[in-house]
Amino acid sequence: MPAMLESLDTLEADALAALSAASDAPALESWRIEYLGGKGRMKSAAAGLKDVSKEEKPAAGKRLNEVKQAIEAAFKARQSEVGKGGGGGGANSAGPAIDLTEPGIAPELGRRHVISRVTEELCDVFGRMGFEVVTGPELEDDQHNFVKLNIPAEHPAREPIDNFYVDDPLKTDVPRMLRSQTSTVQIRTMESRKPPLRIISPGRVYRPDTVDATHSFMFHQLEGLYVDRKVSMVDLKTTLYSFARSFFGPDAEIQLVPSYFPFTEPSAEFYMKIRLRPDEPAKWVELGGCGMVDPAVFEAVGYDPEEWTGFAFGFGIERIAMGKYSIPDIRMLFENDVRFLKQL
Amino acid sequence: MLINTQWLNELLDGPDLSADEIERICTHQGFPIEERSPLPGGGELFDVEVTSNRGDCVSHLGVAREVAAGAGRSFGLRERSQPDSTGKPVSVLTDVDNRTPEVCALFTARVITGAKVGPSPAWLVERLESLGQRPINCVVDASNYILFEMGQPTHTFDLNTLAEKRLVVRYANEGEEFVALDGIKHKLRKTELVVADAEKAVSLAGVIGGLDTGVTEQTTDILLEAATWDPVTIRTAARRLRITTDACHRFERIVDPATIRAAADRLAALLVELTGGTLAEGDIERGPGLDREEQKITLRADRCRFILGLDISGEEMVERLPSLGFRVTANADSSLIECVVPDHRRHDVRREIDLIEEVVRLHGYEDVHTTDMVEMAVAPPQAERQAESALSDALVGMGFYETVTFTFVTHAHCDAFMPEGLKTLQVDEERRKGAPALRPSVIPSLLNCRRVNQDNGAAGAGSVRLFEISSVFAQTPGGDSVQSRNVALCVDAPDRQLGLRELRGVIERLAREMGGTGTSVTIEPSKPVMPAFDGDAHASLTLNGERLGYMALLTDSTLKQFGLDSPVAVAEVNLDALVGLYPPVATVEALPAFPSIERDLSVIVEEMTPWAAIEAAISTVNPDRMVGLSFAGVYRGKQVGAGKKSVTLRMRFQDPERTLRHEEVDPQVASVVGALNRAVGAELRG
Repeated sequence: MPAMLESLDTLEADALAALSAASDAPALESWRIEYLGGKGRMKSAAAGLKDVSKEEKPAAGKRLNEVKQAIEAAFKARQSEVGKGGGGGGANSAGPAIDLTEPGIAPELGRRHVISRVTEELCDVFGRMGFEVVTGPELEDDQHNFVKLNIPAEHPAREPIDNFYVDDPLKTDVPRMLRSQTSTVQIRTMESRKPPLRIISPGRVYRPDTVDATHSFMFHQLEGLYVDRKVSMVDLKTTLYSFARSFFGPDAEIQLVPSYFPFTEPSAEFYMKIRLRPDEPAKWVELGGCGMVDPAVFEAVGYDPEEWTGFAFGFGIERIAMGKYSIPDIRMLFENDVRFLKQL
Repeated sequence: MLINTQWLNELLDGPDLSADEIERICTHQGFPIEERSPLPGGGELFDVEVTSNRGDCVSHLGVAREVAAGAGRSFGLRERSQPDSTGKPVSVLTDVDNRTPEVCALFTARVITGAKVGPSPAWLVERLESLGQRPINCVVDASNYILFEMGQPTHTFDLNTLAEKRLVVRYANEGEEFVALDGIKHKLRKTELVVADAEKAVSLAGVIGGLDTGVTEQTTDILLEAATWDPVTIRTAARRLRITTDACHRFERIVDPATIRAAADRLAALLVELTGGTLAEGDIERGPGLDREEQKITLRADRCRFILGLDISGEEMVERLPSLGFRVTANADSSLIECVVPDHRRHDVRREIDLIEEVVRLHGYEDVHTTDMVEMAVAPPQAERQAESALSDALVGMGFYETVTFTFVTHAHCDAFMPEGLKTLQVDEERRKGAPALRPSVIPSLLNCRRVNQDNGAAGAGSVRLFEISSVFAQTPGGDSVQSRNVALCVDAPDRQLGLRELRGVIERLAREMGGTGTSVTIEPSKPVMPAFDGDAHASLTLNGERLGYMALLTDSTLKQFGLDSPVAVAEVNLDALVGLYPPVATVEALPAFPSIERDLSVIVEEMTPWAAIEAAISTVNPDRMVGLSFAGVYRGKQVGAGKKSVTLRMRFQDPERTLRHEEVDPQVASVVGALNRAVGAELRG
């Protein structure tokens, strides 16, 4: 056997033996320098190839490559057996260790306010029933807030003390005021459009209530109006029932109880037996008011009450939001403490 | 309103109803029970919710009528023997002058002489105490008893304390003093109604009696007033004087003149029984109230079925309406039903639709069924809603928290953000003490909110971004309201320049989210139109020439005014203008096939040279094949020199057809350097 081939056999045997003896990263590194380094034995063996005779060269060259590949592969295998630098640090064993238990870093994401979120969810559900979202001005006048809603001058709801008038109602023909209910949007919509109509209107409303855990002088309502040629009280109840099941789950129940609103007749309060949170049992909640649109309202906007009938309903958004997220105090909704906002 | 269930049961025929049964019926008739508590003498005390249109139900008798109708019972007051009017004619003993018939439809007076006023018997005391009333003497107690039993407030005077022993119903004189029976002195206005004797007001009509003319144990001759009053006049006076009484609560809800006589008769009988006095013959009645026709309404049975969607027969309507006191006649097939409205319902049952409500109430709201399907009319998606949602989502994605703050601000905060040429709109100071102004901008509210989060330690400087979408309000000098919906942004800017750049980036991003990649907002430094802003750090935002809003830093004094320790940058944009860009338009271009070349250039310019001037200078040269120009940074320091800054810009060159070689862009870079030197005196930084 030519000397070159013999010395390559020896190199391979030595390398593999020394490799299996190297049991940690520093030992592996010194092995790598001895055999595979720039001045290592593999390099010197390759340099020896130029002295081999022309006839033997192909075989020697072939063998050289084999040995090189074999010990490189063995090195890689051994390297992963021993581990890279004592448990981490990449190929360079001197690098820092990976710690997967260090806390994550989240990009800062803001939050919609819970009122907006619930409003959007409500609009989505009614939207699926074909209701269109319409909004109206918060600065209103008493024509839209009261007169055309069939709320006469002597009605207690019109007391200046219970409303945010901007103009003195005793000295102004059409005093401006912050709307006390979203029903104003019914009037504005009917004034500008012909029936049939199917709208909902969410928004802020204002009443000078004494502030406590459940009352605020500004809050949000959602109003619905449906006008067509043959709308009945059965349609009203069916619509509210469908909403209840869609929004609160298929077990929701609904009950109408007679009530009084100047702009609807017959009028009702509606109660829903609902689970505001999945972890609570269903209970009856007085949710809002509803009824068949009073003919006087149709007359005020120029609809013929013999031709058109309709229903309207309205409820507070805070109540649903607070129930759904177990918010104990309505004031938390308007303080906007980011520690509160982040929880929702 | 409080109801003693035992008392209620006495008014109903048949065996007693349990409290639960009464609650069930009341609720179904539209009178939900707010609270229940057991009474020591048996039965329960109910707090019944009565809607404002049902003045006829603010009594045990009124509720009994409804419960009887709901339970299919009959009901009625226990008979009280009518005393003989053995006394002198009442007109000899007193007289009444009703000078305000327009607000006093009926005033009646009866007189009892020779009365002996003592404490009430035990049954009467128990009844009143069960409703939380303190017994006074048998006359006052009897008057109260009739109020709770029949809903008719009455007042009893000691006849001998009245000047000239007569009464005058009139408006108060402006500033007239009146001492109420609780000892509180009131100064009255001329729009407030009084019952007076020949000299002075002895009762604030329908609200409260006077101190010196009430019935005491010394009283022998009693004048019994039973009247009805205009509800608004009564309510306005009671609200202004902050008086709430059981009487005004009922008069505000309308007492029908026709129901007065029965109550007065019953009270007179009770007074004779309790005091042993003699009832004078007859009564005095003053006012136009009794001179009325019957109130008749025709109900079309098929119209009723149509509105309700229920198959209720005309016969059922004819059969059930009388239980609420309607006198009913119908044609042969009961398709047209004529109803005469009972006096106690004249004010709330005036039209066919009101009768339809009575029909469904008697039928039972719980029997209104639901159907399996809702009739559908598919409405198209609303771009405006989608836009608002996309806008909010984009802001949330950029780390903004949405707030919902109050529309009201203080005058000082309002003034700081009032645009030039507009005026404050405000509500009555009394309603919102301290903060009656309607905000002309959402920014002051966001700043307050920022301060709250600073003061409670929730968010240190540099950590919070807030936004709110809300209406803002002002008026022109001519008094026309101006209201719009704005989206307001507030970002912490401990480094003011960086804060403004971040805010600008947010606005540009929002515009692109709304209108698409080609949408660009023009942001130009301008003079602020509100005093809150730093004159050197305010820019107007426009889009296609339309005003969109502004972005700015606050002056130090504004920061101080709002108690903020660290600078913030704010922007406010008109929502409609932004949402009007929606939906975004995007055109996709093929991606470049060949690599681009980037060249950075650092030039030293005067401190006051704006980036916009550098940009403009470069665009005038319009360098060949330059596809991008961006701002890379600013450096200030010793090497650059005082009053100067080094601006680094990055140009990108590309050829769509082939790979560019470096030497091909050298001339353009040289021309940019030259242009910058000519335009802004820029020197290449060595």
